[in-house]
Amino acid sequence: MIELILYGDKMSKKFKIEIMILILFSLVSIIFVYNDHFLYKTPIMKVTEVKNGTKNSEMFKETYYNQEIKGIIKNGKYKGKEIKINNLVSKTGVYGDIVEKGNELLIEMSKTGEVNELIGVKRDKYLVILLVLFIDSIILVAGKKGVQTLISFFINIIVSAIAIFIFQKKFTTLNLLLLYIGVSVLFIVLSLFITNGKSKKTLSAIISSIASLFISFGLAFLIVKIYGGELSIWSMEYIEAVYDYENFFYVTILLCGLGAIMDISITISSSLNELIEKDPKIKKSALIKSGREISKDIVGTMTNVMLYTCYTPIVPMVFLAIKNNMKLFDALTFYGEVDLIAVFTSSISIVLAIPISLFIAIHILKPSKKEVQE
Amino acid sequence: MITLLSITLLVLLLIIGRSRGFKTYITLYLGIFLIILYLLLMKSGLNPIILSIIICMLATLSTLFIINGVNIKTKTSFVSIMIVLLFIFTLIFIIVKRGNIQGFSMESLEAIGGYSYDIGTNMIDVMIGMYLICIIGTIIDTSISISSAMNEVLENNQHLNSKELFKSGMNVGRDIMSTTINTLYFAIIANFIGFFLWHRGATFEYVLNYKAFDQEVIQLLISFIGSIMIIPITAYISSITLKRKKIFNFKEKKQDR
Repeated sequence: MIELILYGDKMSKKFKIEIMILILFSLVSIIFVYNDHFLYKTPIMKVTEVKNGTKNSEMFKETYYNQEIKGIIKNGKYKGKEIKINNLVSKTGVYGDIVEKGNELLIEMSKTGEVNELIGVKRDKYLVILLVLFIDSIILVAGKKGVQTLISFFINIIVSAIAIFIFQKKFTTLNLLLLYIGVSVLFIVLSLFITNGKSKKTLSAIISSIASLFISFGLAFLIVKIYGGELSIWSMEYIEAVYDYENFFYVTILLCGLGAIMDISITISSSLNELIEKDPKIKKSALIKSGREISKDIVGTMTNVMLYTCYTPIVPMVFLAIKNNMKLFDALTFYGEVDLIAVFTSSISIVLAIPISLFIAIHILKPSKKEVQE
Repeated sequence: MITLLSITLLVLLLIIGRSRGFKTYITLYLGIFLIILYLLLMKSGLNPIILSIIICMLATLSTLFIINGVNIKTKTSFVSIMIVLLFIFTLIFIIVKRGNIQGFSMESLEAIGGYSYDIGTNMIDVMIGMYLICIIGTIIDTSISISSAMNEVLENNQHLNSKELFKSGMNVGRDIMSTTINTLYFAIIANFIGFFLWHRGATFEYVLNYKAFDQEVIQLLISFIGSIMIIPITAYISSITLKRKKIFNFKEKKQDR
């Protein structure tokens, strides 16, 4: 779509209608989420006034805001009622919410209508704004392919949700790792199939993704099992809630590189497919050579993607720790070891996926000598 | 154990990629070093947002110019990346500030309980900086793939005009886009498993407005938006710069004769 806008070509009628639908959809979703108070069971208050008093706690040295908040309730039984609420928050915003005028807050109320406490800021609108931006940009940039990608993405979310739901119900008896190995295979088959359609190319990508996943995860599993030692598993977020904590760690490693493995497999099998279609008599050695050339280009930036995506989120926690005089190295080991392991294991998966995909793609895609002669 | 994993990775990279593999390894460690540098400089009291922009620039420079060398492709990518970064920065700034996305929520209370909150640096800024550094990897990845591919296309078909070149860049971008979205989604999905186990029985409206959940979702969505936005921007700038370079080279050759 974007070509038409940039180069000012004549827009077809169909295209105009599509753009109108997209704009309409975006506006409706955003207006809706700004007025969805009636859907909430939790009372929501709109802040009309905030007074910031400073208060120094005696237990700690830090400075706190003691915020006196006035507002009007927007939904439920007490709609329209004016209420006051106090909010104690550290000036640096490490914990809790710094309320501003115009914010909407979720609050807890007793049955008689007294205000108990502040739950948090109503954030759903920001998620919806970003989601709308994502959907709009993907459709504008990629058109039909964008819609396909969106469908595959939402199917992945549904599969993940079902897997999480099953595990929530049976978390004490079910083996988390086995469940997610099964789910990963499902993820691979579904997403490659939806975005690339039924073809030999897809088949080759699916088989090589599954093979790479098992081989690289097996390798990582062995290294961790043998040389594991004292892992700081307990610093992982949410670990206390997970009954099967060791397997939770392995699942983190397993899933982290999954997308990257699929990426390598489909890139290699589609480019080899391209080469074979152009010249069915192409030699095996030539295929291997160009396959390696292509993969060299991807690996460097892919490992970088894994690093920045998986390792950067430890920054706030490590920062808080080192500001509290924890040594940098200790803080990095304690809060970031698991994330760094995930970065390295997924990088290993990325590199291993190359020869595996090459091998499988050549065997599946290359026509036998008989077929060529015919 | 990290040492062992790191050595395994090095060996594999050397076997598969030779010198290119070694460069990849160096860039990976440079990335880790940059994140550590970010933490240290932030600790000394520098502004996290300004710092994060500098770190992003350094990360882009090191990845592009070490792995791919200094040439028209990487220069074009660098400019496009900076434009996207500026846009994402504006978006993130508004959302983090209005939505109070900074800091920690209930499940981290135990971990942060012993610490003083009086750290002298605003967590809002730290959060914005973190988001910017988070997405830089994927933007670089997409951008360099597109500009290299467009360069290849032009080498093989010299007659293409800039509009046709732009179209082929967009085609390459679309192919990368769907796999990038997959990669990003799976890279952070494990956190959601833990989250939903912790908040067993939580209502939909509770989860949707919960800080820790929103932090992850926002990270995912802005990485998506960044990696999509970079496609037309890189394709457009490349279509102009690559074409101009071709004409320029052509003139030079003529003069030589």
